[in-house]
Amino acid sequence: MATYQYLIDYFNESPLLIKLAWGVSSALSVAIVILTLYLKLIRATLRKRDAESAKFRKDYEATLIEYLYSGSENGTINDLQLTIIEKLKASVPIKSKRKIIISILYNLMNEVSGEMSDSIQTLYYKTGLYDYALARLKNKNWYIIAKGIGELTRFKIEEAHDLVEPFIMHPRHEVRKETQLYMVNMFRFKGLTFLDDLKAPLSEWAQVQLLETLQKFDDQQICDIKPWLKSKNETVVLFALKLAKIYNQFEVKDTLIELLSHPIKEVRVSVIEALTSLYGIEAKEMLKANFNELSLEEQISFFGLLEKLVVPSDEPFIEKHLFHKNFEIQLLALKILKSINLDKFMGLSKSPKSKGSKRIIKFVNNI
Amino acid sequence: MNKKKIVLAEDNSTLSLLLKFRLEKEGYELLMAQDGREALEVIEKETPDLILTDIMMPFVSGLEVISHIRLKLDLDTPIIVFSSAGQEEMVIKAFNLGANDFMGKPFSPNELIIRVKRLLS
Amino acid sequence: MDTSTVKIILQILHYLFFGYAFAAITSYIILSIISGKETIEYLKKNSFVNYKDILSSTMSPSITIIAPAYNESLNVVENVRSLLSNHYVNYNVIIINDGSSDNSLEKLIEAYDLEKIDFIINEKIKTQPLRTGVFKSKNPAFEKLMVVDKKNGGKADALNMGLNISKSKYVACIDVDCLLLEDALQKMIKPFLEVTNAKVIAAGGVIRIANSCIIRGGKLIDVNLPKKLLVQSQILEYLRAFLLGRMAWSRLNGLLVISGAFGIFDKETAIAVGGYDTQTVGEDMEIVVRMRRYMEEKNEKYRVSYIPDPLCWTEAPDNYKIFVSQRNRWTRGTIETLKKHRKIGFNRNYGSFGMLSYPYWFIFERLAPIIEAVGIVYFVILIILKEVRWEYALSFLLLAYIFSVLFSIIALYSEELTYHQYKKKGTGYKLVLLTALEPFVLHPFILYAAIKGNYDYYFNKKKKWGVMQRKGLTSV
Repeated sequence: MATYQYLIDYFNESPLLIKLAWGVSSALSVAIVILTLYLKLIRATLRKRDAESAKFRKDYEATLIEYLYSGSENGTINDLQLTIIEKLKASVPIKSKRKIIISILYNLMNEVSGEMSDSIQTLYYKTGLYDYALARLKNKNWYIIAKGIGELTRFKIEEAHDLVEPFIMHPRHEVRKETQLYMVNMFRFKGLTFLDDLKAPLSEWAQVQLLETLQKFDDQQICDIKPWLKSKNETVVLFALKLAKIYNQFEVKDTLIELLSHPIKEVRVSVIEALTSLYGIEAKEMLKANFNELSLEEQISFFGLLEKLVVPSDEPFIEKHLFHKNFEIQLLALKILKSINLDKFMGLSKSPKSKGSKRIIKFVNNI
Repeated sequence: MNKKKIVLAEDNSTLSLLLKFRLEKEGYELLMAQDGREALEVIEKETPDLILTDIMMPFVSGLEVISHIRLKLDLDTPIIVFSSAGQEEMVIKAFNLGANDFMGKPFSPNELIIRVKRLLS
Repeated sequence: MDTSTVKIILQILHYLFFGYAFAAITSYIILSIISGKETIEYLKKNSFVNYKDILSSTMSPSITIIAPAYNESLNVVENVRSLLSNHYVNYNVIIINDGSSDNSLEKLIEAYDLEKIDFIINEKIKTQPLRTGVFKSKNPAFEKLMVVDKKNGGKADALNMGLNISKSKYVACIDVDCLLLEDALQKMIKPFLEVTNAKVIAAGGVIRIANSCIIRGGKLIDVNLPKKLLVQSQILEYLRAFLLGRMAWSRLNGLLVISGAFGIFDKETAIAVGGYDTQTVGEDMEIVVRMRRYMEEKNEKYRVSYIPDPLCWTEAPDNYKIFVSQRNRWTRGTIETLKKHRKIGFNRNYGSFGMLSYPYWFIFERLAPIIEAVGIVYFVILIILKEVRWEYALSFLLLAYIFSVLFSIIALYSEELTYHQYKKKGTGYKLVLLTALEPFVLHPFILYAAIKGNYDYYFNKKKKWGVMQRKGLTSV
């Protein structure tokens, strides 16, 4: 007791700074103890949840498969299926279980086709999962909305269209992207109309996903992409160029040639690449005439185009650039020469001009 | 008569369970593998009558599984590969390596049964 | 000097040390708050992302993994296998055998059916020449793989060779003995594709410690907490550095380092700045600083991104000797980089890079060990002079200690609430105990290594690379 009293007195008589140090130390120590205990609790909860989810998942996977195989040919729901729906329905209101059910359903939705994916969709409606997804759209947090839209996309819920559409103008690009993906997943090329007046940039990430979605469908009936090629939004132009390339849009060749004078370099380079795959020989003379004004990237792309679309009359132009200071252009020029005039190519190694290019000529000779 | 053995290599657990149920109902014996390496182990041990493998799998890809079966083990067990959209190139490679058939995802399990039966008949 | 002058000098020193400590603590608090915000934002953003489309798409941009290998014959075959099993479609792997004197190359040729091919290198960055040449596999299943055998030139030189050879838009530079998870590339490439208002020039990932983890066939099967206190302490240290420090700096767009073990770069920018510097031991930090400097000088908007997901696992030193030599090297790398680019420091032309990141790094990373060492010497002098006021000394030492424990615990929270990698029962208790022990187990050696690094840098110029003995990922 005496020591205790002594410590109290000692503390009271200490200077302010020391009092402060001890005060803060004790406060932090208390915090450490509380945080440690809470950490223990968190860990225990997480562990328990993991174990439960694993068990639940196994159980429900089996249930789902039972549901899918007990379906009748004509698509009506039988009693066994009804019991399974009731069983799942009971778990849906619990968030963690709902998540697992969705993930199991989704796991299959992408992998199986036909009547089976239809019956997964039926299950999605009947268990009330659909209503939860709709409720998400009304949430005030953007990421919940995005999740909701993503889910509706995965389960191909077309009838949510009117509710999803307004989000195409959402301030967060993540929500816009999910909405765009929804539109394209449901309505394919028709879903791309949002591009008509898209002001915000369309990220490469979004572009890849949109293209990937479009390629999933058998119906490859593409719409007119000219307006997008003429868009003021450069990312829309770039996206349209990718479409032109993938879907062989020969009819837009004239528009592409106009685009060769687009103010943005990246666009011009992509245009040359698109022309390459669309057999755009019409662009050749124009690019040759301007060659020295082009940026290095455009020059390289142009040689890429020549590599594919060269004709013997291009020889003088190629010859002019055989010893271009850029390695890639030189390599391409030599390759092209070899393909159109082997004799001249063979003669090169003797020419004094080729002194600095021995290595590269030898390489081209060997391929 | 002995049941015919099928190895199924697929990393999507739900899908493999779904297929397992269906194929077992048809009277086949199913051996499951979650990745390419497991698949190779099972194949070497059990010498199955048919192999179903996904192209994109953890660790050892479906392509490697096929090349191992055809080149290293020198077996001509029929192989069906599963592929997703965008993996067309890989499918071509799979055929070059000696795959017998392919199923593009999404596919219907019934369709798979038909092809399995055809290859095993 | 009379006693009053001495007193005044001591007083000034007092305030300086106190001020420094106070500033350091404040910066830690601010950084953890920022990192908390950034973590929540990151998790929200990624809660609904569907990576599946990106990984399987041939439209996604190409990535080359460049992995330099020097005398790695023990594990090289397995490690390459793990690099080849990434779940991204449009990528390839270049292994640069940097003049290994062992049989790495023969092992690779044998395991992957390699054959020598005709190849011409556009030497955009000057490197050591090829030795036997360039190899590719005859087996289409290993089509993604290329092995380049060159004369020895060090890690930076090997990476530069990879930059010259790669035809991809992006390059992932990694240590060959790192274990990359299958979804590493798709997650790391996301910022490059997603950010539209600036150019992303580089992205760094988290490095996790693989010691004692069970790895089979290039796959992480089970995460364990290692037995050795030294390794455990490094885990805690990495959690603090990656989950709190770098996360916060990423929000401020102020990252100066991308760990050499795993980072993705925009290839064009990396080549434009001349690739890796072969003259420094800290080439991984140096290239990021140089790329940032380049972008600042070009006046182009850019970002250096950071992905907190546990995607890359590597072996940490498990004995003090190797640990000290590793940290010694890091210290020298930091000194060299900061010195080489000292023009940036406190230079308004470089924006927050010059006014915030560089000074912070200089004051709280570069100078910290020196100031600490001076402080210790000063304290000893005070003891000798019998000038120590123990009640102050003890109460503030205690406060500093408790603060450091609390900071580590916050890092643990950050881990538990995000990635929760150490799931096993009983590990939590060990981790908490570690927060209390770590200041004694690890910190003195870090300090020692840093001082030694400073010494070596200034007085022992010929000091070679610290050699890290690799135990390999396959041994458990």
